Amino acid sequence: MAVVQPDYSSTPRGKTDAARHRRKVKEAIHRNLPDIVGDEAIITRKEGQVVKVPIKGVKSYHFIHGQTAGEGGGFGSGESQRGKVIGRRPKQGQGQGGKPGGEPGTDYLETEIDIEEIIQMMLEDLGLPNLRRKEVRETVIPKGWTFESIERSGIRPRLDKKRSIKEAIKRTEVLIGALMEQTGRAEEECRRALVAAKGDSGVARELLQSEEPLPDTSDEPEYLLESDDLRYRTIREDVEYQSNAVVLAMMDVSGSMGTMKKYFARSFYFWMLSFLRSIYRTVDIRFISHTTEAKLVDEYEFFHKGESGGTKCASAYELACELIDTEYPTSRWNVYPFHFSDGEDWDPDRTVEAAKTLLAKDPAALGYGEIQTEYSASVLMKALEQGLRLQTYQNDGFLHYEGTVNQTPVLGVILRTRDDLYPALRTFLKPDRV
Amino acid sequence: MQRTDLKRLNDADQLIREIATDLGLEFMPQEFDVVPAQKMLEIMAYRLPVNFSHWSFGRDYEIERTKHEHGYAVPYEVVFNSDPCRAYLMDTNPFPIQVLVMAHVYAHNDFMKNNRHFQNSRRDMITTAATAAERFRGYEEHYGIDAVERVIDAGMAIQWNIDPTEHIHRQSEDEVRQRLYGWSRELAPSGPYDDLIPDRPKPTRNQKRALQKRTPPEPTPDLLGYIINHSPRPLEEWEKDLLSVIKSQAQYFLPYRQTKIMNEGWATYWHEQIMQRLFQKRFLTAEEHGYYNLYNARVKAHHPRNLNPYLFGYAILKDLEDRWNKGRFGPEFEELTDAYTRDQWDTGLGKGREKLFEVRRTHMDWFFVDEFLSREVVENLDLYLYLEREHPSYYEVVVAETEWQKVKRILVQSLMNSGVPRILVTDGNYRNSLQLYLEHAYEGLPLQDEYARKTLELIHYLWDRPVYLETNEPYNDKTRGKLYAVDESGVHVRTE
Repeated sequence: MAVVQPDYSSTPRGKTDAARHRRKVKEAIHRNLPDIVGDEAIITRKEGQVVKVPIKGVKSYHFIHGQTAGEGGGFGSGESQRGKVIGRRPKQGQGQGGKPGGEPGTDYLETEIDIEEIIQMMLEDLGLPNLRRKEVRETVIPKGWTFESIERSGIRPRLDKKRSIKEAIKRTEVLIGALMEQTGRAEEECRRALVAAKGDSGVARELLQSEEPLPDTSDEPEYLLESDDLRYRTIREDVEYQSNAVVLAMMDVSGSMGTMKKYFARSFYFWMLSFLRSIYRTVDIRFISHTTEAKLVDEYEFFHKGESGGTKCASAYELACELIDTEYPTSRWNVYPFHFSDGEDWDPDRTVEAAKTLLAKDPAALGYGEIQTEYSASVLMKALEQGLRLQTYQNDGFLHYEGTVNQTPVLGVILRTRDDLYPALRTFLKPDRV
Repeated sequence: MQRTDLKRLNDADQLIREIATDLGLEFMPQEFDVVPAQKMLEIMAYRLPVNFSHWSFGRDYEIERTKHEHGYAVPYEVVFNSDPCRAYLMDTNPFPIQVLVMAHVYAHNDFMKNNRHFQNSRRDMITTAATAAERFRGYEEHYGIDAVERVIDAGMAIQWNIDPTEHIHRQSEDEVRQRLYGWSRELAPSGPYDDLIPDRPKPTRNQKRALQKRTPPEPTPDLLGYIINHSPRPLEEWEKDLLSVIKSQAQYFLPYRQTKIMNEGWATYWHEQIMQRLFQKRFLTAEEHGYYNLYNARVKAHHPRNLNPYLFGYAILKDLEDRWNKGRFGPEFEELTDAYTRDQWDTGLGKGREKLFEVRRTHMDWFFVDEFLSREVVENLDLYLYLEREHPSYYEVVVAETEWQKVKRILVQSLMNSGVPRILVTDGNYRNSLQLYLEHAYEGLPLQDEYARKTLELIHYLWDRPVYLETNEPYNDKTRGKLYAVDESGVHVRTE
């Protein structure tokens, strides 16, 4: 017969190789974290939505023709109207446009991924695997006193009456059981004998064994407290454990802060919040926008509205101080003030002073991100560097500033392109800082 | 699947074979294996019934499986150019679909037996691949999966950079040198027009001396083969084996790539004919006829973002048959300007079928489309060229061109060399220090930059000495030269 049905119960190699491919995808995500971190789709995603991340590095590479720059193309059929839009394709990270060659669907891969998974990978990347530090990050808040345990000795005022009576009842019932066993009399007789004997089991046994009628004890108390029964409470200081963090997001919204600069700030805050959420139980964020004056705004206004006018960064730091005093005392909150600006400050000296005042309030860390372009006249980073005695560090072309004031870490990062985002986050997330 | 079904399938097989023979198809002995879905998807992803392990096959398996599980049901068919011809049927397909696939397969079988581009294939590839897979597993155990994978990654990257006509003039470097010296002729003089072929000018002494040292003696498109034989790394024997297997599989699959449109069009054309006869014979029920219609429509569906070869090849063949039946070709017809006369043109030539059989013997897609794609087909299919327009966060796919001659010109260009950019090895001892110099035979389409860079890195992994690639790219309405250089520090690009 030409048509046969052979037995194919061999091991499925498809699955094994598919697993190897998936592992490579994961590695590729890891490698492309800097790209993914800057991906707009992630930051603008809706709550709980899974993010699709385009993956580079698991394609099969070979020489293919490209079209003219930025344009992919191909052939299709069934549509005669020129100019008609027949579909869309999401962008692949920062990659060049252009559909690679004649094998659609095989080379272009997208994978779905959780924000948590990305964060976990970033932490691994930072050498902080499985960061479970919610407990470590707890703040102790006194709440007066509370009872701790029950002891056999203590002072009269802390006598626990209920517990003591329970003990008496327990003891009496045990004695009655023993009398029943020893004398063979009924439970009720034993109880009466014990009451008549005022709790003394020896006397009660004699009463039962004498075969005389038991005295009437209906008026006598059934249970008697002895000193053995007494229980006392001990107390200790009461505290509450809280694990709260608040990000005081400050941003310069003056005319010189363009959309791209705001996008950097937004990305940075997004990831900062995501991280802090994996560490603290409660994470708040407050938005302070400033030009020459600072004000509290909501998230939308913070990222979308710009104002004309000059720049006095000090105003934001002063408002942050006020917020700490009124709403987020550092005794109960881990406060992370972080400021983004293009550094064109009108009065940098005053800003340094304001930053020092803020640092005196003992926040968890203070950060400043300067978004520079070729043409910006940035002065603030320099001023902070001198005023707070920051050291400069450079690795892989990424420049940042670090220092400590009153044991509070201070961090300065300079962002020029989207590629700086990831190193900036890495710097911020160094183990000792968060 | 139950026995009874298998019996009915065998009845179908017998019947189809008779009908196909009667229709004039000519084929190798045909075998069908009925396999579970998982095995079928595996064969599709691995390209062969048993093949070596590689993550890219795993990836393709996952893609196939996802499509399958999401009900993207098509009448899966896999058929191999082997003798006897081996094809696979998926056991979950309904009976009329199995019959459709079988009819389709018989036409493929005929095509592969008769099309000249399939004549030099190794028809024992199924067993060769299985034994290679066994050897590769041994290498993995001995040298580690990662080491094996790196070589396969690199080999697969240049698997299509081979010489499509190698079987015609397989020559060693020395043989090529002798030919270039003028000591031997490439082709024995045998035709009536031989005197028209100019004699090659005799090389001078100095040219001969230079030729003696030059490797390759003349530029070759067989990049993969050149690396296998000449890499200064040097490659270990097992590494050469990996690459040689990849090369032989690429050679095996090359005719499939070269004739995809014709081959699928041919099979679709004939399965329709065969199925019609089966319905006439009442071999299939009315209900099964409904099933067939549904699936056949899916096979021939329009695809907005790629040319469906089943539909496209079928349409050209149908048109071709019609034109040769009515004599609608040649200058007399082509130069007609009056639309009505053109439309009504019919000389009663009746040579449609004959022409079809002739074309399936000689052509491959590139020439097939170039020669036979007519205005009528482009317009009936509403064929178009689309481009992607860039937006801030996505690309918009837009119908860019529908004018038939423009669409055809670009389409033919994309089929040239089955779509693979021609890369020639020009010097394997560049700067006299075993560096590899490659040239892209630029024909108007630039190389895709990211892919070129990554591929060059992989070539460098195999060659180990610096690798150069010379190409061109459009620049301000002109063309400018571009040179890629790869060494341990990475890929560097210089433009003129």
